[in-house]
Amino acid sequence: MSANGDVGPAVLARRLAKSYGSRVAVDGIDFEVPAGICFGFLGPNGAGKTTTMKMIYGLARVGEGELRVLGMDARRERRQIKARIGVVAQETNLDGDLTVRENLVQQASYFGIGAATASPRVDDLLAFSLLTDRGGDRVHALSGGMKRRLMVARSMVNDPELIVLDEPTTGLDPQARLAVWRSLERLQRRGVTLLLTTHYMEEAARLCDRLLIMDEGKIVTEGQPGALVGEHVGREALELELADDCDPAALLATIGERADGHELHDGALTLFADDAEELLRSLDHDRFPTESAMVRRATLEDVFLRLTGRSLRE
Amino acid sequence: MSYEPGYAGLGERLALRDLIPSPRHAAAIWVRNARVFSKLWKGALLPTFLDPFFYLLALGFGLGTYIAHGINGIPYKEFVAPGLIASAAMWSAAFETTYNVYFRMNELRLYDNVLSTPIEPQDLVAGDVAWSATRATVYGIVVLIVVAAVGLVSSPWAILIPPFVLLGGLCFSVIGYTFTSLIPKIDLYSYFFTLGVTPMFLFSGIFFPFNQLPGWVEVVAWFTPLYHMVEITRGMATGPEAASILIHTAWLAVVTALLFPVPVRALRARLVP
Repeated sequence: MSANGDVGPAVLARRLAKSYGSRVAVDGIDFEVPAGICFGFLGPNGAGKTTTMKMIYGLARVGEGELRVLGMDARRERRQIKARIGVVAQETNLDGDLTVRENLVQQASYFGIGAATASPRVDDLLAFSLLTDRGGDRVHALSGGMKRRLMVARSMVNDPELIVLDEPTTGLDPQARLAVWRSLERLQRRGVTLLLTTHYMEEAARLCDRLLIMDEGKIVTEGQPGALVGEHVGREALELELADDCDPAALLATIGERADGHELHDGALTLFADDAEELLRSLDHDRFPTESAMVRRATLEDVFLRLTGRSLRE
Repeated sequence: MSYEPGYAGLGERLALRDLIPSPRHAAAIWVRNARVFSKLWKGALLPTFLDPFFYLLALGFGLGTYIAHGINGIPYKEFVAPGLIASAAMWSAAFETTYNVYFRMNELRLYDNVLSTPIEPQDLVAGDVAWSATRATVYGIVVLIVVAAVGLVSSPWAILIPPFVLLGGLCFSVIGYTFTSLIPKIDLYSYFFTLGVTPMFLFSGIFFPFNQLPGWVEVVAWFTPLYHMVEITRGMATGPEAASILIHTAWLAVVTALLFPVPVRALRARLVP
């Protein structure tokens, strides 16, 4: 399906920047999304993910730098780019006055696809998104999960080579999220390049072949999910709830280089190491009493919090 | 005053290629609006068709009884009726391009979706304006049919009124769209209607002629689209003069063409910052 393997990356950004007035949303980023993979953008609120996506799908003009989508210049070839990509925006913006089926037929017409050509494709998309028996319903009658599936189906009416998804599962219950994930995995198997933003680390770990973490308009790190965990936090994590009379600074001093890193937050200490079990055994429990101790696998969440901090982003 | 998110004022100058709509893409927008209208007209929109007839009853048949000699030799009912074809079109276009466009743009966020397909802002404005003018023509034709049926149209030229209503509808729609694309807040529509549409409705020569009034009144009226629209519909319904029709038609066409780039610019600045 994806025929752009020979023309280079699906998306290429060089020194890409964007400001709204005096507020810098994207601050000179470089990245490359290879064709055919699922590429994730992680980052706290306000990191610049959505602005980057909007520049790619034509809802924000490119500020500075270069942005090429499917080999085309995002500044000058908006219409041509938009014809070949699909978009699932963060906000649900289905056409509430139309039925489920009409939403898809109407979307096809925006791409210049007539009703006769669209009809069999719409049938396929309804089946793909498990909405076949809801085709005649008004959009208002759908659950949140169904609306999201319809958003994904709608992004496919033009048989796109690249689909951009901005937080595709935010606000969904676990079952609905799983259904969206499954449809994205099926898209991946068809060779469609997926570019998604998310707040959910398990979503990124499950779906993405490659991801980057943004913060304050800049890229903090980039790599394969597993490799990022190994590189930034080691294989395992030891979570300690320190007792009141335990001095964290002294404890950390005795651990020294035996941990690959740590996070300390209100008496909760997380230590990262390749063998956290071994690290736990080696601690002097009389000198450093703890309320509880738990060994677990290190996750992408640890990488994320480590690199972007724990403070709230409003 | 707190602004709607994304409010961006007039926006910057655009190249010609960003101003000229693609007919195919504009048509897709027109079809969407027509599709929704075809679902709603029998329900929520039905009363809006009745509006002009209340004015016709109250003023044409009510007040008109006391205007024994008519106006300029025309019975008062016949004087008022063609103007109501024009005003029906104006009201339709005014509502369509204010509240309806505003909700599609800012509340439903439908334009965010549309503009992330190959549709560009100039196609969107053109499709919406063309639809709004179509709807205005439908309303105008309904009034035309009724006033003709009750014998208030004396000239066969009246059969040619609909294309002129379409042109007037385009003009009203571009004006309404311009307002919508430039206002930072929905509250400002009260100014548009109370200071713009309603006075135009009352003082554009629908209910009384200008010949007994000070000259400046007609000068002011000349700058409003409804005045020209009323002159055309009344001319067509009572016996047209070619020169007059031509001037009024040219006025509407020129204003429509000159104003069209403004909402395109403002909409692009607002939705594609």
